[in-house]
Amino acid sequence: MNQLALAFRLLRRDARSGELTILILALSIAVISTTAISLFAERLQKTMNLQGAEFLAADLVITSSSHIPQPWLDQAEQLSLKRAKTAEFSTVLIENDEMLLAGVKAVSKHYPLRGHLKTIEQDYLTETVHQQGPKVGNVWVEKRILSALKLAIGDLLNIGEKPLRISRIISYEPDKRGDLYSLSPRVMMNGYDLHATQVIQPGSHVHYFFQFSGAQADIVEFNHWVKPQLNPSQRLMDIHEDRPELGTAIKRAERYLGLASIVVIIIAGVAIAMAARRYTERHFNATAILRCLGLKQKQVLNLYITQFIILGCLTNIIACALGWLGQLYLFHLLRDLLPAEVAEPGLFAVFFGFFTGLAVLFGFALPPLLRLKNVSPLRALRHDLDPMPISSWLVYGLALLLVSIFVWRYTDDLKMTVGILGGGFAITALLGGLLYLGLHIWRRKQLRLPLHLRFASQNLTRSPSRSISQILGFSLTLVAMIISFTVRTDLLADWQKQLPDNAPNHFVMNIFPDQKNAFENSLKNQEIKEARFYPVIRGRLVRINDTPVQQIVSKESQGERAIHRDLSLTWSEAPPDDNKIVAGQWWTAENVQPGQVSIEEKLAKSLKVDLNDRLTFTVGSRQFDAVINSIRKVRWDTMKPNFYMVFSPGTLDQYASTHITSFFLPDAQKAYLNQLAKTFPGITILEVDLMLKQFKSILGQITAAIEYLLYFALLAGFTVLFAAIYSTLDQRIYEGALKRTLGAGKRLLQAVHLWEFALLGFIASLLAVIISETILFVLYHFVLHLDYAPHLAVWLIVLCTGTGAVALIGSWGVRNVVKHSPMRIFREL
Amino acid sequence: MLSPKTTIDLAVRVVENIAKYNVNKIFIMPIIETDQVIIETRNLGKSVPTANGLLHILSSVDLTIHRGDSLAIVGASGSGKSTLLSLMAGLDTPSVGSIQINGKELTAMNEDGRALLRNQLIGFVFQSFQLLPGLTAMENVMLPLELANDKQAEHKAERLLNRVGLAERLQHTPRQLSGGEQQRVALARAFVTEPAILFADEPTGNLDSRTGAQIIELLFQLNAEKQTTLILVTHDNELAGRCQRTIKLDAGKLI
Repeated sequence: MNQLALAFRLLRRDARSGELTILILALSIAVISTTAISLFAERLQKTMNLQGAEFLAADLVITSSSHIPQPWLDQAEQLSLKRAKTAEFSTVLIENDEMLLAGVKAVSKHYPLRGHLKTIEQDYLTETVHQQGPKVGNVWVEKRILSALKLAIGDLLNIGEKPLRISRIISYEPDKRGDLYSLSPRVMMNGYDLHATQVIQPGSHVHYFFQFSGAQADIVEFNHWVKPQLNPSQRLMDIHEDRPELGTAIKRAERYLGLASIVVIIIAGVAIAMAARRYTERHFNATAILRCLGLKQKQVLNLYITQFIILGCLTNIIACALGWLGQLYLFHLLRDLLPAEVAEPGLFAVFFGFFTGLAVLFGFALPPLLRLKNVSPLRALRHDLDPMPISSWLVYGLALLLVSIFVWRYTDDLKMTVGILGGGFAITALLGGLLYLGLHIWRRKQLRLPLHLRFASQNLTRSPSRSISQILGFSLTLVAMIISFTVRTDLLADWQKQLPDNAPNHFVMNIFPDQKNAFENSLKNQEIKEARFYPVIRGRLVRINDTPVQQIVSKESQGERAIHRDLSLTWSEAPPDDNKIVAGQWWTAENVQPGQVSIEEKLAKSLKVDLNDRLTFTVGSRQFDAVINSIRKVRWDTMKPNFYMVFSPGTLDQYASTHITSFFLPDAQKAYLNQLAKTFPGITILEVDLMLKQFKSILGQITAAIEYLLYFALLAGFTVLFAAIYSTLDQRIYEGALKRTLGAGKRLLQAVHLWEFALLGFIASLLAVIISETILFVLYHFVLHLDYAPHLAVWLIVLCTGTGAVALIGSWGVRNVVKHSPMRIFREL
Repeated sequence: MLSPKTTIDLAVRVVENIAKYNVNKIFIMPIIETDQVIIETRNLGKSVPTANGLLHILSSVDLTIHRGDSLAIVGASGSGKSTLLSLMAGLDTPSVGSIQINGKELTAMNEDGRALLRNQLIGFVFQSFQLLPGLTAMENVMLPLELANDKQAEHKAERLLNRVGLAERLQHTPRQLSGGEQQRVALARAFVTEPAILFADEPTGNLDSRTGAQIIELLFQLNAEKQTTLILVTHDNELAGRCQRTIKLDAGKLI
């Protein structure tokens, strides 16, 4: 008890004297970001697990691109399962000369079987809960539809051929998924009105969700009965067996956020280690006296560990509370991508943040703290008697172990963990080595520099390891920020830039065969040229030379992705424009026969197929075969319809098809789209501009969330700077006093500090620019296939702000060096 | 026709008059007549606030020192010796009284003005050497010259280090030097600017008696060569005896 009281007293004294400020700051930053991410992830996970049924809006759902057979519904009836059905499709809404791509959901009477819908009339104060969708003749729309199309509640909204009255604003639907369909603003209509819209025709691109609910045993029985009968394009989701998944965008964002928070932990950890080292060194004398007074080694260690536990607990409690606020902001940033209602935050995530904080504190601070145990009582007489340094294996090993656990937790993938740690370690070691070499050479060359610059660079090169950790801390944070910012901007700018003038800027899908000629004529009347029409049938590849495809393709490959979804299949007499035959030959009028297929080059490689291999496809419940007779190279960036599989004429005659085309429409002729949509109500018009806009908004939200975390990393970077400053402050004050004794003016010393930190900031920013440009070059060249151009404006901004910020903040940190009289400093030594 | 001495006198006055208005920019020439008063203190005092009221460390010190003098300040621990030295050297500011160095009122100057004065007129030798640990012996000695923008810094520093017997140790850092060698570097640094006044605070306090004697010998030799005014704080009566004058402090007062 006595020791606890002593620990409290010593801790309070240290905290008051500012000894612990940096340590507390760094720890807080790590805990706030970890708690925020942990709460964010936990709330999403909990939402998915606990409210799984609600997120399916049912207990079991079969998704299909067409109606399911009647016997399945009869079987459900027999098992007394309740049924509902939704149909989802994209369509362009045109009202008041405004256009908007919307995601329409037509719902049956009993939808939703689980959960509920929520609507509002004008404001959120009057939110109403519903157990059913809109009534016949009505639609509910998302608020942004009203503003985009200049509509109000009570107005009519045309969906295809059918005008429907807007009765409410939809604020929550349970089964909203994080994919592109559900990201388009929602229009919910009654399924009874669907036929009258004439939007759905044979071959239309529609997703049907057949929903069932009932007793668990009945659901399980139905599941086992229906599962073997599913065709490859149908999928079954059961809350008892399959967990519904988050949209991939959110899942990736969660992973990146986790990794960003590890960056924060590492940088804050470095600051904690530096601050703990200074703390330890400043406590050598006090410890020697305690030892003289009879404290045993173990008691000394206990005393300091108790202080750090108290410090960690108090700091973490406050930081966890701030982290809780942090996750609220994270949800705000990602609000459009997330379900409207998420589970309440649980205590587990807060505890995780709390204990992570303690782990970070001890992982980075324990090794220096252990030195205090070895302080000899003799030091009370001889102040130069320092305890032996702790083994660097312990210092780095403990930190590395801790970081490994965090990386593994966020990636949940051992291979990726090893990759990230190995890569990170190699890059850090390489950069650290290069910086060390650079600083070493610089130290030898600095004799000829002007005095203030020489003093500045002497300060920088005196302790290379300290300078290197500051430079790397800043550089790596800046690299992450530059990449996040640049990729977002370039991805959109380059995509738009790559499109040649007059490249098609509109896609039209779902043109039915009987509309094709009229549609073609309509385009001709508008003098729209070069619109080529392709028939489209949705089908799935199931076998290659009679072997199921699942046994052939490797996971995570392009082929794997291709076999898990419906492909757009087409046929053509002539090869598509911009396609190049790289193997085999295109069919000619003389040798053409049904059952031949031309395959895209990369997919062929991924599926390990070659000329004359036989592929089996299913369309609905029927199957057909085709033999590969040519392989094509496809240019995907032409904004024209492109296909993995092009069949010879006659192969797909027996299946219902729609047509797809693309064309260029100048801005001045946009009104024509209005006319098109009215004349051909079933068609889906995709505006490239609109798609880009939607893409931009998703990308913007995810990068904003990641950047939000990176600001914490930047703050942590500044704590490293301060920790480094404070670890040298005594030395700096002494040297400043001595230089002033020998005649150096305040202004000279201030200039030296400004230059020192400006140099530090400049080197860190320069390194950040070089690393990020290298990464961007590789990323653009090999992954994103974008044109690479150096980002000169970014260089300039990063170099100026990086140098300026570090110079000013660093100089502020050492402002006391020139404050006190030199004699007072000599006396205190 | 003016004599050379009068001409120099006039030049000094002109420079000093200019210096009054712009002390930071004008080089104060260390040319002073032999019998000129170089340091004069009047009613000098220093006190610091404590929980029990003001503590008077130094009070009513009146002192006049001429160029070329050597003065020993002696007294018991806590008598105010180091405080008096630090006030005269412009390292600290007095609570009351005035200090004139070479006719200039030190209390009227700001920290930068005092720093410039120290650079031009004053050299220091401390008990604990006070060398910059990151710099070599050569760089430490060059430092005050570089602060005065002396282009000959390297040459002068090397010459003086040779003079104090450290020709082989130019590139060694303080950690690689013995206590005696460090104090030699400190002596070289103190004399390299050819200061008019040298303040020495217990210069042998951290050295064994043999090394201490060598350092004192060197200090007095250099002092004689450079004709410096020497002000020495010491406990050592023998050392004090080598100075022309000795003053004694007790409880902050001259006795």
